[in-house]
Amino acid sequence: MTRAGLTIVAVALAAAVAAPFFLKPFGIFLISTWTVLTIAAIGLNLTLGYAGQISLAQGAFVGIGAYTVALLTPAGVPFFAAFIAAGFLCFAIGWALGYPALRVQHHYLAFVTLAFTTLVFLVLRNEQWLTNGIYGITGTPRPTLFGWTSSGARDFYFLCLGVLVVLSLATWWMLHSPWGRAFVALRENPVRAQSLGLDTRRYTLMAFAIGSSLGGLSGALYAPLVQFIEPNSFALGLSFNLLLMVIVGGSGNFFGPYVGALISVLLPEWLRVAQGYYLIVYSVAVMVMMAFCPAGVLGLVERASRLVDGRRKAISGTALHTGGTSK
Amino acid sequence: MASFIQLLVSGLTTGAIYALIAVGFTLLWQTSQTINFAQGEFVMLPAFFVLLAMNAGAPFLLAALIGIVLSILILGILFKFIIVDPMLKYGVLPLVISTIALSVFLKESVKDFYSSQAQPFPALVPAIDIRIFDAVVSTQSLAVLAVAIITVVALNFLLNKTRLGRQMQATAQNANLARILGVPVRRMVLYTFLLNATLVAVASILISPIYLAKFTNGETLGIAAFIAAIIGGFNQVRGAVLGGVILGVLDNLSAAYISSQYRGAFPLIILIIVILLRPQGLLGRVEERAV
Amino acid sequence: MTAVLEVSNLRKTFGGIVAVDGVSFEVRSGEILGIIGPNGSGKSTLFNCVLGQLRPSAGDVRVDGRLTTGMRPCDLNRLGVSRTFQLLQVFPQLSVRDNLVLAGQEHQGSMASRLFGLSDAGLGDAAEQMIEFFRLSNLADEPAGSLSYGQQKLLDAAMAFMAGPRLVLLDEPAGGVNLTMLGHLRERLQAYHAERKATFVVIEHQMEFVMALCSRVLVLAEGRLIAEGTPHDIRRNPTVIEAYLGH
Repeated sequence: MTRAGLTIVAVALAAAVAAPFFLKPFGIFLISTWTVLTIAAIGLNLTLGYAGQISLAQGAFVGIGAYTVALLTPAGVPFFAAFIAAGFLCFAIGWALGYPALRVQHHYLAFVTLAFTTLVFLVLRNEQWLTNGIYGITGTPRPTLFGWTSSGARDFYFLCLGVLVVLSLATWWMLHSPWGRAFVALRENPVRAQSLGLDTRRYTLMAFAIGSSLGGLSGALYAPLVQFIEPNSFALGLSFNLLLMVIVGGSGNFFGPYVGALISVLLPEWLRVAQGYYLIVYSVAVMVMMAFCPAGVLGLVERASRLVDGRRKAISGTALHTGGTSK
Repeated sequence: MASFIQLLVSGLTTGAIYALIAVGFTLLWQTSQTINFAQGEFVMLPAFFVLLAMNAGAPFLLAALIGIVLSILILGILFKFIIVDPMLKYGVLPLVISTIALSVFLKESVKDFYSSQAQPFPALVPAIDIRIFDAVVSTQSLAVLAVAIITVVALNFLLNKTRLGRQMQATAQNANLARILGVPVRRMVLYTFLLNATLVAVASILISPIYLAKFTNGETLGIAAFIAAIIGGFNQVRGAVLGGVILGVLDNLSAAYISSQYRGAFPLIILIIVILLRPQGLLGRVEERAV
Repeated sequence: MTAVLEVSNLRKTFGGIVAVDGVSFEVRSGEILGIIGPNGSGKSTLFNCVLGQLRPSAGDVRVDGRLTTGMRPCDLNRLGVSRTFQLLQVFPQLSVRDNLVLAGQEHQGSMASRLFGLSDAGLGDAAEQMIEFFRLSNLADEPAGSLSYGQQKLLDAAMAFMAGPRLVLLDEPAGGVNLTMLGHLRERLQAYHAERKATFVVIEHQMEFVMALCSRVLVLAEGRLIAEGTPHDIRRNPTVIEAYLGH
């Protein structure tokens, strides 16, 4: 990462830590929502941006994670055990869904995940004995860590932020390991990658399963955050929202999900004048973006910075730039 | 016997409508790599064009015609030139995402700018119940069935017996080869978009009296189109018709025997089973492995 | 001694068109075999069938005696069969070094070790050696997309060699490369061949390249094998001359 990039991340992190001290409870709720949705978006970014597959089930995985925690913790299971369970469960389901769907071409995963989301919604709604149906589940407790309770808004925000940071580091590690190289190869030239012994199917499946498990982990935090979950929150709308988040932020870009989630959380607030219209604005924005800049907001930023860089080089003369590019 | 006939009639009716939607979907995919995730909304929308025309004072048949024309203009021409063409150079993925965004856009637009309430939609013929072999069948269902079947037959004739249709099929099978053989490929691709727009408009007019015109109609119809297309085998237009009919019949049978709560799940489970066991569908060929 | 590669009665049809019509041949260990033929003779289709890119309509492919017909390209590669591509296929956004590490990493360890182990999968030295061998040292950290065409061809070959393959299939390696670079490429291929005793199969259009590099040549025309022999003999073979002139 460049020096400039590291500085920006450091500043953003500092802002994220300082923010709750300057915000009212609703503001803290918003940024907590941002951290939780970013986790789901990071997962979807893996599936879409790195492995090139469309998943319309990320919202359903958030739901599965949320219900797992909402059902296990009141029954006495410690939060972090339920948290891990949510992750593993969604990983396994993701693997099971992806395995047959990815054997074929033609974006079959998109259809399978579409069907899966609807099925999950039906199960959540109908199996009242388990999920309380449309009446939902209230009051999921917030965890206690070594005596520190996170029930306060600010405390719970820091918990979410902490989880986000840990998961971000883990994702960073993965993307800089040979797996990350494999994902780039998968995205840029799968035919060539196959001829080098890279099992594209296995890596794609892995990306989808990991992406889905991140959705589950996001849901595990979502339940104690909003304190009331019901099937409609996790229907197709959430999956679309997450998809648009990843696209607008910049699919395939490590920081895309953070930006996309921020925009998605703030947009309804900015458009409060045009209350219900934010989905229309959002979808038009996506279509326009796909036509002119499929790389999303961060793609635009990258293009702009290259323009600035190019102009700077032209002015100062290339003589000042010796040797290769530094990364 | 009575209920069987009733189920058969309603199953074939829905099936024929699904077939129309699935054929357009398959053709678009084959000729221009367009996976139209907004296909369901494409079926939802024309009914509202018709309603708008009627609100402006047009009698039903004229309004229906206007609806079809508007559909061809907007869902055919505009869709192709404004959304599909600029996007294709970036590959299939951005295009699919655009159609997903488009489906959200169309649905929310109807909800916000027209109404979120279900709107009654005039039927083709007044609904009178008649008896066939002890079964009670509505003339409305029979009319819908008749129009749907006529459209499917006409479609089949167009695609298989006319030069234009065969050129379209050739473009769908192998655009490069078709080009070499002198088929005006670009024009054929445009025609498939226009054809799809017509088919979805017809399907919309047929189905809205039954389901009422509502902005959420696209969700179930879209999924039905995909499933029908996949069941029939993505490669085949014939397959889309077959898939649509099978889906319609199974859907209606399941309504009779499965709890209404899980009614919507049945087609989805069929989809997952088909993809698991026979991804090329019933009539499709196993794809040449590209990777 | 079993042949490294054995193709038996391979046939591939596309609809009504027969691209490869019952081709059989053997490749012996350590030899450099050339496959030539006019355009449309089925050379690329043959290659793609051997390499798992296409499924043959009939016939078998055996590598070291083991049946590999229709095997996925990635599995075939792990058996020790590598290829280069006619149209350039390096990864433009990755550096030269990263391209080479990528080319070898799937042969190191397991999925788990690739996630939790070293970020270069332990291939740092091997990549360095390959860079030196192909004289790309001053470009090692440049993105592969910024290399010249000829340099990318060298990188392509280097990537095919990274996993130490038994058998390398080269698809028109000389295509579009200027004369100086061509000599350099041929010289490097010969050096690698001498050092590692690898077996090569080369499809090529450029006669000079084939004649200088290959010990034996097969000639394909209209999907069928029409001649076989040393480069010297092939040059004089009337059937071959006819096939080329006839087009």
